[in-house]
Amino acid sequence: MILQNKMCAERKAKLNAIKNHPYFGFVVITFLMLIVQLLRVSGLDIPVVLLRAFGFTMIYIIIALGFSILLGYGGLASLGTAGFVGVGTYVVGYLTNQFEMSIFLIVLITIVGAVVIGTIVGFISLRIEGMYLAIITLGLSEILKEVFKNATTITNGTNGLSLGTIVIFKQAIELNHNAIFIVIALIMLFIMIITLNLMKSPTGRALLAMRNSQSAAQAMGVSIFKYRLLAFITSTVYALLGGVLYMTYIGFSIPSTWSLGFSLNILAAVIVGGSQSIYGIVLGTFMIFGLNLAVLQQIPLFVENPAISVVFNGFLIIAVIMFYPGGLIRLINSMNYKIKTNYQLWKKKRRAYIYGDDPE
Amino acid sequence: MFITEGFWRSIILFILGLVVVYFILNVTVFKKLQNKSKAQNILLNVFVFLGVLFLFYKLYSVIPEIINPPQFYAQNILNRTLYVCVLALATTGIVLIFKTSNTTNFAQGMIGAVGAFVAAKLVIYFTATYTTMGNTPMILLALVGGALVAFLLGVFVDVVIIRNSKMPTVVGKQMITMGLVLIFTGVIPLIFGTIPMSVPKLVYGDNIAFTLLGLELVITPNALAALVITIVVLGILFIMLRVTKWGLGVRATASNEVVASMMGVNTKMITAMSWGIAGLLGGIAATMWAPNTSSVGVDLMIPTQVNGFMAAILGGFGSFVGPLISSMLIPVLTGLLSFVALGWENAVVYAVILAIVLFKPLGLFGKQVAKKV
Repeated sequence: MILQNKMCAERKAKLNAIKNHPYFGFVVITFLMLIVQLLRVSGLDIPVVLLRAFGFTMIYIIIALGFSILLGYGGLASLGTAGFVGVGTYVVGYLTNQFEMSIFLIVLITIVGAVVIGTIVGFISLRIEGMYLAIITLGLSEILKEVFKNATTITNGTNGLSLGTIVIFKQAIELNHNAIFIVIALIMLFIMIITLNLMKSPTGRALLAMRNSQSAAQAMGVSIFKYRLLAFITSTVYALLGGVLYMTYIGFSIPSTWSLGFSLNILAAVIVGGSQSIYGIVLGTFMIFGLNLAVLQQIPLFVENPAISVVFNGFLIIAVIMFYPGGLIRLINSMNYKIKTNYQLWKKKRRAYIYGDDPE
Repeated sequence: MFITEGFWRSIILFILGLVVVYFILNVTVFKKLQNKSKAQNILLNVFVFLGVLFLFYKLYSVIPEIINPPQFYAQNILNRTLYVCVLALATTGIVLIFKTSNTTNFAQGMIGAVGAFVAAKLVIYFTATYTTMGNTPMILLALVGGALVAFLLGVFVDVVIIRNSKMPTVVGKQMITMGLVLIFTGVIPLIFGTIPMSVPKLVYGDNIAFTLLGLELVITPNALAALVITIVVLGILFIMLRVTKWGLGVRATASNEVVASMMGVNTKMITAMSWGIAGLLGGIAATMWAPNTSSVGVDLMIPTQVNGFMAAILGGFGSFVGPLISSMLIPVLTGLLSFVALGWENAVVYAVILAIVLFKPLGLFGKQVAKKV
């Protein structure tokens, strides 16, 4: 009996250790995504639209995570996201179509390019602060958009660039949505784990200090130069990686996608969910992109009036900033806490009623 | 269009030369000076001025001799009059809101677009009911109507949304206006539907020819009318800012909102009025710009808005005059750059602005504001 109890307790402790592990939630999210895909492959009739919606949402989660490091941890508002994601799509499209480079080499090149771009923007951000930064990055994004439109030899102009195959180990392989979905899910898991580690490390704390008060952070020995650059480089790498995944997933990129609206939607996702929490960003991205792509586009009312979902996004942003500055995840957490405490109180009272214990 | 051999090379070499000279002077001469930052500032101003002047000169020199360069150059600058007016109005609106609310209003263009939609609807209504009405009075009435609606919308946004937000941080306010952009993008088509026609021009007629310094130039009557309206509106606004109590209140609020409210300035009223007037300016700008597009659409003012932000950044948010001058500079430069780089002119102008702002973060005319930690 005692042994059984002990074993039971051990098992419980093990289970708890797994359940409370910081990566547990990420694995569950990834697993849920993979299950949807596996069900589709195994022959169950899951609508393709839903699958694509999940795929896109995962790519946007990666981009939004980069943005959250900038906004939630660095306190730097940037509107250049769309341009950077666009650069990622065109890099993979051009290098594959023209030189038939291996996808691994392309990812490496993209990361190097992202580091360069991030460094440049980081240097700009050292000179220009606060609200001005959002406008300057908006200008940078506009420059990139003009480049996408006009550099027709690379980007095929306003007709859009399409990608049919990717090269792996010197073999051209046709784009396979199902296979790439799994890769995207795994990369998302990887990025989430990296981001969590970044956020909980001294780097993340230094960024937070910088966000709250630059002068105080400097006084405590935090190098603004180093951490700003780091925040921008991380965010740009994520954005370009998102672009590469986008291109390999859908195989088409057109300049009009990479406009201000895209940056605003990413911003909305980060703000609505809660800019400092990874689960918040997942929630926010599903609210802004996933809900629209997967659910609303099936309902005739929304198909006829695509404007309604845009209005919904706008209302969400304003309502969240006006009433819940911490994002929806904070609202959920506080509600969760309230329910838990109330439940425990109720349990105590009930025990007191049954056994005559002291309720306090 | 023209032969541009060596154009970019010489410009880049000139700018690089300026940068190198600046750094050499910085290391050698300024190290020993007493008031280092002041001398640096003067030198930077001179160099930025030289760089912009060189760019304009180079653009002049690429025009071949056959087509009479001075006249061609002046005519090309004059052709941008209408857009200069539109941009000046839009930029002033953005700066006004920045002064009082300390935020950059991304919804400025959208509020203006609503004004243009109302004006277009009014024009349709007038042409249907009052058939004898002439074009100019009709469009002027529509302009006033659209501007008034934009005014009310601006006040509404401030009173209902900005004032009631719980923690109005600087970036938070900015994001609220970004959310407003999304709302307007969705709501405008729902309310107004699609308007197949465009707003008519202010004045139709033959081009007005005149001689200035021996150059024979022409200007469209529409652009001239727009110029008159802009000068009148901005003139009234600047006189109000200088003379009236509201103007004093705006300047007090701009310098410090809390202290201003302690001194008895009704800052809420001032802010609401500023949002309203900014909306009005945006409405006028959008209605004047609308004839240049085939139909009035939601994205009517987005390029203008981006240019307006750029002008405000280049001129410096701190002053009204700086953004006004830059909002003349940007369209003129874009027009001239289309000689040498058709399709790339916006990108080049933005890159130039980025380069200038990197060296002068507060803009050409901005002043350093001491901040307490």
